[in-house]
Amino acid sequence: MNSNISVSEFDSGNTRRVAKIKDFLDKNELDMSPDIEVFVTIKDEEEMIACGGLAGKVLKCIAVDSSRRGQGLILKVITHLLNAALVRNRNELFLFSTPKNIEFFHDCGFNLIEECDGEIILMENTKNLENYQKKLTSLKKDGDLIGSIVINANPFTKGHRYLIEEASKRSDWLHIFVVREEASEFTFNDRISLIKKGISDLKNVTLHEGSDYIISKATFPTYFIKDKRQVNELYAKLDLNIFRNQLASYLGITHRFVGTEPYCKVTNNYNKNMKKILANPNGKSATIEVVEIDRIKFDDKPISASRVRKLLKEKNYEELVNLVPTTTYEFLLEGIKDDK
Amino acid sequence: MKFRRSMLFVPGSNTAMVCSAFVYKPDTVMFDLEDSVALSEKDSARVMVHHALQHFTYKDIETAVRVNPLDSIFGHLDLEAVVTAGTDIVRLPKTDTVKDVLDMQDAIEKIELKIGRTKKTKLLAAIESAEGVINAVDIARCSPRLMGIALGAEDFVRDLRTQRTKEGTELTAARSQILLAARAAKIQAFDSVFSDVRDKEGFIKEVNYIKGLGFDGKSLINPNQISVLHNIYAPSEKSIDWAYEVIEAAEHAKKNGLGVVSIDGKMVDAPIIARAEFTLELAKASGLIGVDDE
Amino acid sequence: MINSAHAGTLESSDVYIQINPIEGDKVEIDLSSSVAELYDDMIEELIRDTLKEMNISGVHINVQDKGALDFVIKARLQTAVFRACETKPTWGGTQNEV
Repeated sequence: MNSNISVSEFDSGNTRRVAKIKDFLDKNELDMSPDIEVFVTIKDEEEMIACGGLAGKVLKCIAVDSSRRGQGLILKVITHLLNAALVRNRNELFLFSTPKNIEFFHDCGFNLIEECDGEIILMENTKNLENYQKKLTSLKKDGDLIGSIVINANPFTKGHRYLIEEASKRSDWLHIFVVREEASEFTFNDRISLIKKGISDLKNVTLHEGSDYIISKATFPTYFIKDKRQVNELYAKLDLNIFRNQLASYLGITHRFVGTEPYCKVTNNYNKNMKKILANPNGKSATIEVVEIDRIKFDDKPISASRVRKLLKEKNYEELVNLVPTTTYEFLLEGIKDDK
Repeated sequence: MKFRRSMLFVPGSNTAMVCSAFVYKPDTVMFDLEDSVALSEKDSARVMVHHALQHFTYKDIETAVRVNPLDSIFGHLDLEAVVTAGTDIVRLPKTDTVKDVLDMQDAIEKIELKIGRTKKTKLLAAIESAEGVINAVDIARCSPRLMGIALGAEDFVRDLRTQRTKEGTELTAARSQILLAARAAKIQAFDSVFSDVRDKEGFIKEVNYIKGLGFDGKSLINPNQISVLHNIYAPSEKSIDWAYEVIEAAEHAKKNGLGVVSIDGKMVDAPIIARAEFTLELAKASGLIGVDDE
Repeated sequence: MINSAHAGTLESSDVYIQINPIEGDKVEIDLSSSVAELYDDMIEELIRDTLKEMNISGVHINVQDKGALDFVIKARLQTAVFRACETKPTWGGTQNEV
């Protein structure tokens, strides 16, 4: 019995303690995640022997000192993280960890979503993925070339329109997934409704509301941590593996279309990984061909959502009107009116 | 008299321990609802201990529960949960005055009356302050329910503004006072826990020391300490031999209608017989003699 | 009035129980156990009986069993219910009322 073991829970504002956790994670070859709100630590006397964190609905940074493994400390950590999540009314949870812990977490009610490179696992405490896969299966279309696009469209531009139109022409059917996470300047509802209006003439397209499994804070946290310049490739790979093995295969997707990325480092890197991960045989699911489509340009510069946002901020409507479809332009004008 | 060499502390929030403590066969299992239980789990530990007390695995072993003080928001709730569940003993924490014991006695009586419990709940007062040590003599005599008093050293040394040491010099006065108070009131005396579970030698030294002082037993926090302590408390071969002789002489006298017998020139009277019986019980519990050896 | 609540731990010999109110007066139970499925029916019966004793229905109960004894499951479930109803137990002998 370990009589001197104490468990404590505190929020990330406690900088002295957070610094100690960072040292402990370093020692265990784990990175501190900047989005953690609540930490749980276990100490024996004054020595830290285990820790874990809660970021949104994700449990992560779970570590146990190498000399103290096999004593069930990880179960203590998970219990306290679960308690912390539940009192915040977060019931549907994810967790990141390493593959050696799959069994442990399975016994805590978590189901494996994906394992990547033998380094990282993502699990959830619901059967939401299974249900989502059933839904996707019901939306499956026949065809030789089933295309797919994942976009944020923040907001929907002529560039997006061009990418979708091209993909739609080349595909028997095209599935578009819109990033669901509310981490952009425009809300999810606005983003998806602008896409819907902007592509209403295309007949071979299904517009999917995104999910936790496509570029979400759960599957791809570093995508949303803007100030984190150092991009963790592992999460990008994980996200792509989930797309291929857990989603695309249920829709029979054969191709993924993507615009060339001149600006965003994270996105650029993501595209590079995409080819590597989707197009090579992996023994789990069919390969997916990645098709890069050059961005259309206006005034010799590629059209991008970030350029549109910049012009909007500068109130440069004369240039802006050339970069977005009429439907988006009308929506933006309305927003300006509202502001006044 | 029941011997209580080992009282094993079991945190009410540690489910694995609650479920397995009986396996280690301490003389008394002492469930804790007080200091070892975090504030957020006070309610769950209380419910857990309520059920554990009624479980068949604890039917053949003496049970005690350390409840929270009555002046805390948990005290009365704890008491209700454990008295209704049939605990043998309630350990009263932080006993400073006679009034503390009497208040606890009243509260227990009310619950017993309400549920019609006939077997009276016993009381063990833990003395954990200078004031408590000063009042120990009065405390020890104040209630017929009181089966013993115990030293709670962690809080006591804090009150004295010192720390615990391996030598235990800081506890000398308190140990002596508590022991004297208990003996004068003809109740039992128990020593505090030895908290460094890794220091087996230190533990052995301390048990020998407090046994020498006259303590009936000691609170323990680690099951591994039980057999070590029981070995130290085991009666010697010589005293077992003596006890057999006393019992035999007494039985012989009874059978033949003799009024008085003596061994080695000393009279075998009721207290001597009681002590011999106690020695044999202890020898049995220590595994030194079989159950049917007498 | 029932809120969401939880009790217990995921540690060995324990059980982690979540209780959530649902529409209607049914009792839904989601049970997963790290020990044999053999006991699933017994655990479910124990949960239903305990809830009946406490006059609780219209709830979804999620149970992560880590090899808990019956009295542990009962204690954790009761704690979760007390927390969900924000009531304190009154132990009337063997008859437990909410």
